[in-house]
Parts: sequence; C-alpha cells; structure tokens
Amino acid sequence: MHKELADFSIKYLQKKGADYAEARLESRSSNSFMLKDGNLDASSFDNSAGLGIRFSINNSLGFMAANQLSKDHIKKQLDKAIRLTKRSSKLAEKVEFSQEQIQKKSYKVKQIKDVREISPEEKIKILTDLDKSINPQHGYYSLSDKLVKKYYINTEGSRIYSEIPTINFFYLITLIESNKSIQRMHQYGTSTGYEAIKKWELEKNIGEEIATLRTNMIKGIKVPKGKVDVICAPEVTGIATHESCGHPYEADRIFGRESAQAGESFVTQDMLGHKIGNENVTVIDDPTLKGKYGFYLYDDEGVKARKKVLMKNGIINEFLHNRDTASQLGVKSNGSARANHFSVEPIVRMSNTYIEKGDLKEEELIKDIKKGVYIKNFMEWNIDDKRYQQKYVGNEAYLIEKGELTKPVRSPILEITTPAFWSAIDGVADNLKFFAATCGKGEPMQGIPVTTGGPSIRLRGIKLR
Amino acid sequence: MILDYLKKELEKEVDDFILIKQDLEMSNLKFVNNKIVKTGTEDSSQIGVFAVKDNKIISTDLKESDKKSAKELVKNISNFLKFTKQSGNYFGIAEGPFKYKKVPGLFDKKIKDIDEVDIVESGINAALENAKRASGTFMSATGKSRIITSTKVDAEEESSSLYFSIRSLISKESSNHKTLSSTMLKDFDVEKASRLSGEFAKLACCPKQGKSGKFDLVLAPLASSSIFGSLGDAASMFSVEAGLSFLTGKLNKKLGNFNMTDDGRLPNGIGSSSFDSEGVPTQRTEVIKDGILKTYLHNTSTAKKYKVKTTSNAGLIAPDSTNTILEGKTGNPFDIKKGIYITNTWYTRFQNYATGDFSTIPRDGVFMIENGELTQPIKNIRISENILNMLKNIQLFGKDKEQITSWDSSSPFISSDVLVKNINITRPTV
Repeated sequence: MHKELADFSIKYLQKKGADYAEARLESRSSNSFMLKDGNLDASSFDNSAGLGIRFSINNSLGFMAANQLSKDHIKKQLDKAIRLTKRSSKLAEKVEFSQEQIQKKSYKVKQIKDVREISPEEKIKILTDLDKSINPQHGYYSLSDKLVKKYYINTEGSRIYSEIPTINFFYLITLIESNKSIQRMHQYGTSTGYEAIKKWELEKNIGEEIATLRTNMIKGIKVPKGKVDVICAPEVTGIATHESCGHPYEADRIFGRESAQAGESFVTQDMLGHKIGNENVTVIDDPTLKGKYGFYLYDDEGVKARKKVLMKNGIINEFLHNRDTASQLGVKSNGSARANHFSVEPIVRMSNTYIEKGDLKEEELIKDIKKGVYIKNFMEWNIDDKRYQQKYVGNEAYLIEKGELTKPVRSPILEITTPAFWSAIDGVADNLKFFAATCGKGEPMQGIPVTTGGPSIRLRGIKLR
Repeated sequence: MILDYLKKELEKEVDDFILIKQDLEMSNLKFVNNKIVKTGTEDSSQIGVFAVKDNKIISTDLKESDKKSAKELVKNISNFLKFTKQSGNYFGIAEGPFKYKKVPGLFDKKIKDIDEVDIVESGINAALENAKRASGTFMSATGKSRIITSTKVDAEEESSSLYFSIRSLISKESSNHKTLSSTMLKDFDVEKASRLSGEFAKLACCPKQGKSGKFDLVLAPLASSSIFGSLGDAASMFSVEAGLSFLTGKLNKKLGNFNMTDDGRLPNGIGSSSFDSEGVPTQRTEVIKDGILKTYLHNTSTAKKYKVKTTSNAGLIAPDSTNTILEGKTGNPFDIKKGIYITNTWYTRFQNYATGDFSTIPRDGVFMIENGELTQPIKNIRISENILNMLKNIQLFGKDKEQITSWDSSSPFISSDVLVKNINITRPTV
C-alpha cells in the first residue's frame, strides 16, 4: 500500500487551507465465477488500489478519487478538486462534523480458509457440485470473494488500518411445469473466509427449496379472503426491518440529503421517543457482529462502530448517524458512515439490522392462529421513497388452519403501511436468523454489504391479496 | 504504449483476447435543500481484459500503466487458466479489422470547461420559482477509449456525458423529479427542466389517497424508463439464457403495437459508440417491430451459438443493450376520459423475471386525468402488473421524446409520454 500518499494528501490539503481532510487508501483483491445452466460463463480476478480523499475548505465539502497512485498525479487531482470546491462555496452548505474521539487502531478478520489461499478450482467446484446436486431446470449462480485492505487517516489524528474479507454467493433458480413457473433469487454472504461455505449447507438448503417451490407452484392455493393472521418467517422479517425501520431511521434521509436519490423519510427528527410499533419489538443495527456480511469495527469517518437500538419496545429510539447528521442533531456519531469503494464519499448506511429475538417458539406463534398465512420467503418487494408503504410477495408460503400449516399458498401479497406493520406485531419468536443482502443508496449508486434479520413474527388481522 | 505491450505478451499466452483501455475524468456536485453539499472529482484509467484459452474465459483489468504490472497480470492470467474450466458457451470473438463510421455527437470538448456551480445554481433558481426546496446531482464526464483485440481490431474514440437530476419539493408529499442526460452541452437545458420540475411540484400539492382498480395510465418518460427500460436487459441473450427475461420464447410473436429499437448509433445517445466491446461497428437493431419480437441482442459468441448474426451488442462478458428506444403510433395520450398521469416511478421489482410479474411505486407527482385534463393529485398507489400485459396494452405515444437515465434506471432509454390502457393499481390494505 502507498500509505505515504494518503499521509501526503491530507498534509497537502492542510497546506492549501483545508479545515479538515481525511484519506481512505484501499487495496482490493477479488475473484468471481459465474455458472449458467452448468456452464462456467466467466471467471474474473482483480487486484486494484485507489485513494479517496474528503476535505472541507472555505466551509465547503469536497471529494477527490484517483486510481493512479503517484504523488504528482494525486497533487494535480487535489488541486483540481480544491478549485471546484472553492468555486462552490458561494452556494455551499456550511459543513460541520460532530467532535469524535481520535482512534488509532489496526484490525484484521481472522480467516480459517483464507480467500487468497483457496484455489480458483476449488471455488468453481463449489458451484459445479451444487449445480449437479440440486439439478434445477435452470440455474444461474455466481460466487465472488474479496479482501479489502483499508488505511484511513484524518487531520484530527485518527489512523485506522483494517483487513476485511467478504464472500458472496448468489443464485437464481427457475422452475417451469405445465405453463406455470416459479423463481427463487437469493444470496448468502459473510465477512469471513471460505469456512462459511460449509455452514451455509447450500446443497441441502437450495435442494429443499426447489422441492417445496415445485409443490407450491403446482398445488398452491389462492390467498384466503378477509383479514387473517400472518407469520413472517425470519427472511421476510429481515427485509421488512431493513426497509421500513433501518432506512427511515437514516438521519441523512431525515434531513433530506438523499432526497433526489434514495429518497427521504416519513420519520422526522422530533419523532425520537414516538411510539410506532408494538412493545414486543426492538430493532438493532450492529456492525460489530463478527462474520456477518455488514461487519466493521470503525466506520469510514474513523468513528468506532457500536450496536444501535433503533426501535426499543416499539418506540423510536435512535437514528443512524454520520458526523454531519450527528452534528446537526447535536449528538455524537454512532459510526454509520460507509463507502462501498474508495471512489465514493461515505454516507449513512445500515450494517446488520434485525429484530431482537423474543421468548416464544415459532410453533407457539402458529398455535394461536385460527386462520392465517405463513410466509417463509419472498421474491418481489418494494417500498416508497418515504418508507411509508411497502409490499412483500411471498414465494414459499402456507395456509394456517387451527394452529397448523396445511396447504401451500401461492404468492401471498402483504401490502401495508409502515405504522400498520409495526403495530400489528403481537408475537416475536426466538428463532433469530440473518440473511445477507446488498443495499443500494447514493449517487453514484453504492451497493453495500448488509445483513437483514430477525425471528418469526406474528401480525394480527391483516388483509392479504 | 502499455496496450501494445500487453497485446504482445497476451499473444504468447492465450487464443483470443480483447483489451479496452478507458480513461475517464469526472466531476459531480450534489445539492440538497437549495445548497451544494458536496463537490467531487474523479480521475481513473484502466484496461479491461478479456482472455480465452481452450475455451476457458477470464476477465480482469489492469490499473497500472507500467510494463512490470502488465507482465505480472499476464502471469496471473496464465496461472488462473490452469485452474478454471472450459465454457460450453464460448464460440469466439469478431474477426477484424473493421471500418468505422463516426457517430455524430459523441464528444463535446466544451464539457471540459463548463462551470458546474453556475449550472447547478441556475437549476435551483428555476425550480424555486415554484418549489420550496430543490435537491439533486450534476455530473459531467469526458473520456477516451481504445480497443485492441487478437482478431485485428484497433480503434479508439472520445466521449462525453452530462447528467442533471433535480427533485423539486413543496413538501414531502408534493414533489416532482426531472432528469437530463446528454453527450453534448447544446440542448442540455437545465433551467427548462428545473422550472418544469418546480411547476409540477406545485401542481402535485396536497395529494389524496389514490384508489385501487383498473385504470388507463399515461406514463411520462421518466416513469416509462423505470418499467419499459427493462426491455433492453430482457432482450439480451444473456438474460434469456439466465432466466432473467420475460422475452424468452417470444421470438416472432406479437407482443403489442409498438416498436423497440436498440440503437448503438443514436446521435447524442448516452449509450452510443462507434464500436461494441469486441470492436464490431455498432448498428441500429429493430428488436421489436410492429409489436413482433424480431431478434434478441447478441455478441459474436451468442450469435454463433444460435446461428444468427451479431447485433453488435457485445459487452466484455455478455450482450448489453445500448440505447433502448420505445415508440409507436403518435397522438395525444392525454385525450382520455379518465386515467392517471404518472410522472415518475421507482423500485420496480419482479416476482418472476421469466413471466414478467412485477410492481413499481409511482412518486413525485401522480395526477388523475379527467376529460383530458390533469385534476386531483393522488398518492400511495402501486402499479402491480405483468409487463407483457402492459406492453400489449400500449396504445399511443406523445410526440416529444426524452433521453432518460436516472438513479433507478441507469440504462439509456428514449421515449415520450405513453398511454397504456387498463392497468392494475393497488394500494396498502392497512
């Protein structure tokens, strides 16, 4: 790594009159493999490095990124960025960051099966063995891994070095029978080495999914009419928590900073302490969970990461902050600033977001239902730009009659407002599970690794379609 | 220099290769609530590498421009090839050399000297004539690309692009969004787009809960791009094979009354270039003509596999759309008794890519249409439909086409207001 270039950059910016500067130097090595209907369509590898520098000058915020790592080039690019930032000062919002502790840390994720040491042959075998074992009508898979080495430094004295691996497995299965078709798209992700693959039990899990989806496609009945009780299994709980609790509690949305991109929020800053959900529900965002896809210990502004309680017993408890939004609310940052690449600015992001587990067994939630629907997983989902009204369409789902799962139900649609969703939850099970996802935000778009999660939850009196 | 060196080194190691060197200079400004909150510049240079030996495909890239790094890369490719497997889907790259005809309006050198801050300021001021606040992004880029292949292709060209996105707001519920995309400074009318955005935000004031049911819809180009923009991806042979296309099995079948063209040579087109990623001269391909699906989008390899000609849509790995143009019978789409005008929609997600079942959420100004006039603004509705059904129900296009790229839909899409009959609208049940 060219750490000296990062050090030089912030000193140079100070010399040029910057009030504040920070540099993120990244080096990445990655591999990816794509298998389509048994054919290895592509294998890729990449080794790259680059520098992203953010600074404040004349109270305006500037950013510069370059992948040509020579001192002369960086200097030239910084001069260009300074000129543009100075020009913008006549129309710029005065930038203020919250005061944070200086951090000097170095950490590396320990890998048992290091992503660099597993051969391409072994990685490809994971895909080909899976395809042979589950033998779907159509299967499209990709497996990718990455090791990101990051050196962060700022003019306040923070200096953090990290090495975090990630592995991502994605699949799309298409089943067709008698003019009917069903698809399943899903991903697995980790911030560990290849030891995770065994734990994922891909052949078993996807094999079982194919069998149940086929039954669902052929024998699935229509959704029952009228109001019913609904069990959202962990995967559905996870996406709903991410979309309708995590996103609307991002403080940059609340202040309108993502207005023309990922949207704003129905939540306002004076809603802290406002009751929005059932008292059974507590929602956490915790980047420090080891091995989870959204893991990190220090954010991309050099702030120490910590567990955040976004919703506590149904009450809005805390927003996700970077140093800018924290300053606007007069609080400390809670370490939620992330950038998916050196070439983009850090913005407020989720990490591993989930509903805390309850005391009940899933069977107990189901037992109390006379008529209902159990939604195990989903394909289609969306939510509006204020995070107020959302839709989840079940893929594998079952009818609940007198406390038991009876027949498969085809594509139940849960289309509901956010307050109605959180208020309707009357039971939380203890079967907490996590699911990897890639969350999109910012412009240019930044897809960032996150985890969604939660246990099975019960919603009372819901009209499905 | 480095390209030529890499070419020589690769010739010793692999059967086929493509090298694409891209140098880019970009700047961007983000503005929020009438103020610039960030400026940014980016400078990057890299060589995309596609290499094949014994039908084993590798893709990688080189960021450094020294011989040592290039040599190391070739060594890594050779090592990787030892472990990887053959692809049954590889049938070669295009044999050059080719002659290229320049596409008009790909590069505007004036873009290098623009004053980004003045442009953003003029946009904000125009929006604020009617709106209370405006947020958005301005981006400009200039670049140079050169392609060299093992099959005698050697070509280069310069390109430029401009993007402006503005969302004008009266309140969280009353807003309008416009985007502008162009390769040239002329016709890039930020003030006009921003003023319109502000006017529509004001018109959208105080929306009421919309009703569910079947409605005739008029989709503005930005809304249309979020739905019909998926035609470009769906037409790629890669999507067809991967199960990601609702056009699978529809060749020579009637899908409706419209035309969809993939035009890699569209003047001033964001997705235009003189050559594709194999160096094949780009072309205008009538993908859907008079409603009938005539072809999928191919590169040389997929074309050989399916015994057709390449449509010059090669990306480095799979066929990609260039500029997706949707058009048909023109008239006044608003000339209906009752319907809904949707200016923007986002979060288009499919339940099944192969059948085309999907939903999307209208936003930023949704209006009832009564007797040809925009009346009550509405909110909290969703288009829950099947895209093949929507295509079948396309009736009429307005006259004024717009080129759209947006946050939610990055592939270039060109169309006008479009009337689509009898579309399913849903709303939350609680």
